[in-house]
Amino acid sequence: MALWLDYLRRAPLVVFLLLYTVITGGPFLWVAAMALRTTPEILDNPYALPIPPHWDKFVEAWTTSRYEIYFFNSLIVVAGAVVLVTLIGAMAAHCLSRYRFRGNRLARMIILSGMILPPQLMILSLFQILLQFGLYNTLAGLTLAYVATQLAMTVYILEGFFAQLPQDLFDAARMDGYSDFEIFWRITLPIGLPAVFTTVVLNFIILWNEFLYAIVLITEDDKRTLPLGIMHFMGSHQLDVGMIATGLMISMSPIIVLYALFSETLIKGMTAGAVR
Amino acid sequence: MAVVTLERLSKRYDGAGEPAVKEVSLSVADGEFMVLLGPSGCGKSSVLRMIAGLESISAGTVSIDGRVMNHVPAKDRDIAMVFQSYALYPHMTVRENLAFGLRRRSVATAEIDRRVQNVAGKLALTPFLGRKPHALSGGQRQRVALGRAIVRDPKVFLFDEPLSNLDAALRTTTRNELIKQQHELGTTTIYVTHDQIEAMTMGDRICIMNRGELVQIGSPLEVYRKPADTFVARFLGSPPMNLMEARLERSGDAFAVQTAGISIPVITIPPQRLAPYAGKPLIHGIRPEDLYEMPPNELAGRSVQLPARILAVEPLGAETLLVLATKASNEELIARIGRETALRSGSEVMISLDTGAIHLFDRDTGKAIAEPP
Repeated sequence: MALWLDYLRRAPLVVFLLLYTVITGGPFLWVAAMALRTTPEILDNPYALPIPPHWDKFVEAWTTSRYEIYFFNSLIVVAGAVVLVTLIGAMAAHCLSRYRFRGNRLARMIILSGMILPPQLMILSLFQILLQFGLYNTLAGLTLAYVATQLAMTVYILEGFFAQLPQDLFDAARMDGYSDFEIFWRITLPIGLPAVFTTVVLNFIILWNEFLYAIVLITEDDKRTLPLGIMHFMGSHQLDVGMIATGLMISMSPIIVLYALFSETLIKGMTAGAVR
Repeated sequence: MAVVTLERLSKRYDGAGEPAVKEVSLSVADGEFMVLLGPSGCGKSSVLRMIAGLESISAGTVSIDGRVMNHVPAKDRDIAMVFQSYALYPHMTVRENLAFGLRRRSVATAEIDRRVQNVAGKLALTPFLGRKPHALSGGQRQRVALGRAIVRDPKVFLFDEPLSNLDAALRTTTRNELIKQQHELGTTTIYVTHDQIEAMTMGDRICIMNRGELVQIGSPLEVYRKPADTFVARFLGSPPMNLMEARLERSGDAFAVQTAGISIPVITIPPQRLAPYAGKPLIHGIRPEDLYEMPPNELAGRSVQLPARILAVEPLGAETLLVLATKASNEELIARIGRETALRSGSEVMISLDTGAIHLFDRDTGKAIAEPP
């Protein structure tokens, strides 16, 4: 067949992919460019390239704008929540997929119903509960709220994966003398690592960008997380566009690094259940 | 070293109408190789899993050395099991797989190393100790699974169809290897299979199950020669026993079976067992190897001639199978004859039948009519 016909056949796909890339990658590149330009430069010409690049803006954002505080708050809350939700979620998924006990369907339904409810629905009651337990306006409270919101999805992904592990493995470990918890720790977790990893990365990305709960449940500036910190630059009288862009880039960097390093594992874990 | 005793062991799964296992009682002697044989779904695996402690017991007891095990957790029963899927831990090397059970039992590290090396040597696994299961062939995985059981030196071995994932050639060699290991170790073994050749060649005794019930226990040849009912008669032997409609006739003190237009004198079953069936229909069974193209000399005076038409001739190399239809009743029979034969399908033939080898079964219950045990 003629080569040009082959190209022609692929043309619609290429056009589509190009468009998609421009739409998704365009705004990102624009912000990345603005992050290296000063606000007057941007106001002068919003679409110009960062020549010369102002790398010092990152230092300025980090030091003068309390970004380090927000960054570490985010790190503590998100890392804590991810560790907790992974552990609790994996244990729940292990039990739901391995044991037949009275009410296991009900338990699964209740946990998974958390995925259906929009977060706005829970915010009032969550606020009230945290207030009562003295957890309102604390990093611990926000961490727990994050664990609760992400548990459903975590259990959902992990249970699907764990349920596919052959029962014989678990029976063999029982015959080898291992207790239920040891079986979870030494068999389910290591073998389910790709799926566990997927939930870790997904939860990290979702929580790192979380805004709604953070703004409702945290009032003190010292306890704010990164998404709130970016708001800091939006004063009531003026808008420091250049600094916001720099802040956004700092905020995004961990996610970009995470994704660049682990995107392949992430996709493998997400599709593991589907293809086998 | 252990005696395993099952008493009226039953299993009913939640939501199932019929129990999967119905009051199975049997005793496995110390060092014995007992095979549980039956078609799939007959409950043999459920029995094994109840002995292992992986499945709860609905009724009855499992005891080892006289101690009731019903409520003893699997890990405390000192039983090792080899699974059909091998169930090797995919994230561990062969060495770790072998050592996993020992480590839990707080065996000293040096002792674990010694035992792992020993078993690996015995099963020719030494070169693969550092590999993970996915980098092994089917036969090697099977040996690791076996090694994992042996290395623990348990009281009882349980095998759940361990050879069914191997190809035919490997199955034969692994079978022999397994028998050798069991004889050397002398560990009480319960082996589940649906493969009658495995059962016949490996078991000291065979326990045949059907629909959750124990049908017959005995040595392989005993069960083969004296099947307790038509199920066992058809299940053991390949091709299976030929079963035909028949009627028992009495003349004086002698009995004869009327079947397929011929009369076969009954010489192997005592008259007092036959008397209640006189004049009644029953089922007559004859194994394919007890039908002859030409009766050998030692059969002189003991054979009768059965007229039949040959439907097919199937040469298997070492022997030839004839698929026959009896002339009088058009019932299908299979005969196993010598490898050289001039018979062709479509032709008619007089097949000789060894009257000393016939089996009779009750037509209603399927139970064998035989001399009392």
